[in-house]
Amino acid sequence: MKQTARGVFILACILCHLFSSAYAQAPAKAAFDFKSIGDMSDFDPTNPIIPTGDTIKIAIVASFSGPAALVGQIYWASALWAAHDINKRGGILVDGKKKLVELIKADHMSKPDQAKKITERMVLQEKVHVLWGTDGSNLQKIINETANKYKVISINTASLSDDLQDATNFSRYAFQSSMSADQLGRGLAYYYGKIKKKEKKFYILCQDYSFGHVLAEGFKKGLKEYYPDAQIVGEDFHKLFLTDFAPYLEKIKASGAEVIFTGDWIPDAANLLKQARQMGIALPFAHIFLDEPNFLHEVGVEGTKGLVQISQYGSANPNFKTPEHIKYYKTWNELWKNKWKTPPFNSRLFEHGTGNIGSYIEQTYWLLNVIARAQSTDPERIIKVWEGDSYQFTTGKVISMRACDHKAIQDLTILEFVPPDLQKQSFNIPPYYWYTGAAATGPAFTIPATSVLPLMDPNLDRCKGKSAAG
Amino acid sequence: MDPITAMYVAQGIHGLAYGMVLFLIASGLNVIFGMMGVLNLAHASFFMLSAYLGFQFVSLTGNFWMALLLAPVATAICGVLMERFLLRKVHAFGHMGELILTLGVAQIVLAGVKSIWGSESLPLKMPPILEGQVAWAGLNYPVYRLFIIGLALVVMAIMALLLYKTRLGKIVRAAVSDAGMVNALGINIPLVFMAVFGIGIWMAGIAGVAIAPILTVFPGLADQVGMDAFIVVVTGGFGSLTGAFIVSIIFGLLSSYGVQFFSQFAPVLIVGFMAIILVIRPHGLFGAREG
Repeated sequence: MKQTARGVFILACILCHLFSSAYAQAPAKAAFDFKSIGDMSDFDPTNPIIPTGDTIKIAIVASFSGPAALVGQIYWASALWAAHDINKRGGILVDGKKKLVELIKADHMSKPDQAKKITERMVLQEKVHVLWGTDGSNLQKIINETANKYKVISINTASLSDDLQDATNFSRYAFQSSMSADQLGRGLAYYYGKIKKKEKKFYILCQDYSFGHVLAEGFKKGLKEYYPDAQIVGEDFHKLFLTDFAPYLEKIKASGAEVIFTGDWIPDAANLLKQARQMGIALPFAHIFLDEPNFLHEVGVEGTKGLVQISQYGSANPNFKTPEHIKYYKTWNELWKNKWKTPPFNSRLFEHGTGNIGSYIEQTYWLLNVIARAQSTDPERIIKVWEGDSYQFTTGKVISMRACDHKAIQDLTILEFVPPDLQKQSFNIPPYYWYTGAAATGPAFTIPATSVLPLMDPNLDRCKGKSAAG
Repeated sequence: MDPITAMYVAQGIHGLAYGMVLFLIASGLNVIFGMMGVLNLAHASFFMLSAYLGFQFVSLTGNFWMALLLAPVATAICGVLMERFLLRKVHAFGHMGELILTLGVAQIVLAGVKSIWGSESLPLKMPPILEGQVAWAGLNYPVYRLFIIGLALVVMAIMALLLYKTRLGKIVRAAVSDAGMVNALGINIPLVFMAVFGIGIWMAGIAGVAIAPILTVFPGLADQVGMDAFIVVVTGGFGSLTGAFIVSIIFGLLSSYGVQFFSQFAPVLIVGFMAIILVIRPHGLFGAREG
């Protein structure tokens, strides 16, 4: 009996290894084309050059007003960069004609009713070919519903809830190229259990909506799988855009936690970290979005070192591995220094075209690359290309689209924030640091895609009988 | 004090601190409503504007205290100008005009701060003297939050003195009760209204600068606290400063102890409390019945 169990275990290990090797070695079907990158010297997100007429229309559906207005600007600058580059290359050949890419701002104001109105307006009046979203899984759900209703493509670059593509909500027209909450939770658990192996007591504090809950579940599940000795010493969910975190932080202080696990995004992320440090809580945060440089600088080097981020864009060190990647980075950074003079684009937040900004740019490039290979804006042809597709980012990372439920499979990266003098292991080109006034990426660790495969809903008919790779 | 007791005590002080901030905002709103019958939907926007002006003053002078002094005054001047040149003109046409006007002003303030300062989060650093913690009997508590409680108490004392110990206070209280009669006695009621409006905005302005070092200054700041302040006014009773004070403190304590004991239901507790009060007393805890 014991021998049989051992045999099964060894067989499972071999299969697992074979699968992961096969996945890791699979070449991407397409890759970002560095060589023909356009002349970007005239790129300015404040004064964008937006083509009109017979174009490929993409609505950037985001909060351009309200508490999360800044998030919309981040999306806008990122998607605009990719569109501008492609337009400078002459556009995309679709339906027998070269067409430029036109981006349109669609402000959902972080409100579901407005999201419904604006996405319908974009499809029916503006006749967009793609809905590009967004901050907030509840809002992405509405975008996907509209895409499904009117048969247009939607790409989810930022919302992270797994249920967006489950049996209840799945739409053939919706693609999730972003990470997913369950993956992130498990990825961070993998890091603490398999890589760091130090802290054992975790306190979960997330925003009280679907993303926060799925993320927390993913983390707990990941701890069970990768770190059975770990202990959850507390778990709370707070309302979005909370003013006062002190009551939660007081509980954390008394809980004996060694790490605070959070999925909060700005402004909550900023207020949480700031108030924790003001209250003398020096614990590390395991996070996704505690990387906005303005508030990191406000908190300072001491308050930000030890933060641990899971990232879609990051890669194993050193960060800049090829001359082409350095050229891309420098082009963005030079424009930020010399050309972008208007808030918010002249602020530190936009200094580096990496991190979340890099991730949104890469995802937009992927979308445009899929349209180019489909040679059409016809959603059916786009679906045909995108399902099962794989694409190589500027960083060298390969991302693939699981065919059965349209979720991205990809390696993730853990970034440890360290003081400026230790950042050169990541920032391997002059000036050899990301920031001088705050801790930022130093050590980086890859979480293999096979350890953080996105959830697959067994009730989704399209996925029945499929492997984890879809 | 053992750690658990220290935690409960700290939660109480957190509740007081948040309650005091709410009081500063809500009392300004309440004074304006009590005196003028105007529900100022731009009130929280002035709170936000003051935080931005505070950021600007600190950026220019590096002095938090200067910002705390000047930003609320500058904001109050904006409020006074709004009352004089906009609100007064629509006042005669009833509440609907006032509501639409103040809503419009809120949008203008929002667009204004975004065009001047952008939509990113801006830092307003607290003065070094207020950084850190005080340690007392096993309890470590942030100095700045104690400062907020003290500041609110000072503002409240100034308001009480103004209302109950000065001639202006007598006029205001009389005008709340019967503006027409006070006007008939030769008092310049529009001028008094303007002063009251300015004081109300000034109080919100103080709260804006005071809370900025804890939060980030960004265009959504008004939305973050505006609704809570409005709930305080409704629950405490329109026009009642006592009601605003008591309900602010109750809300603050419900928030902190709610998180401590019923974390999942913490956000609902405040609304539930409001619902219960309004069912029992439709005009709020200390609100006067009409007619």
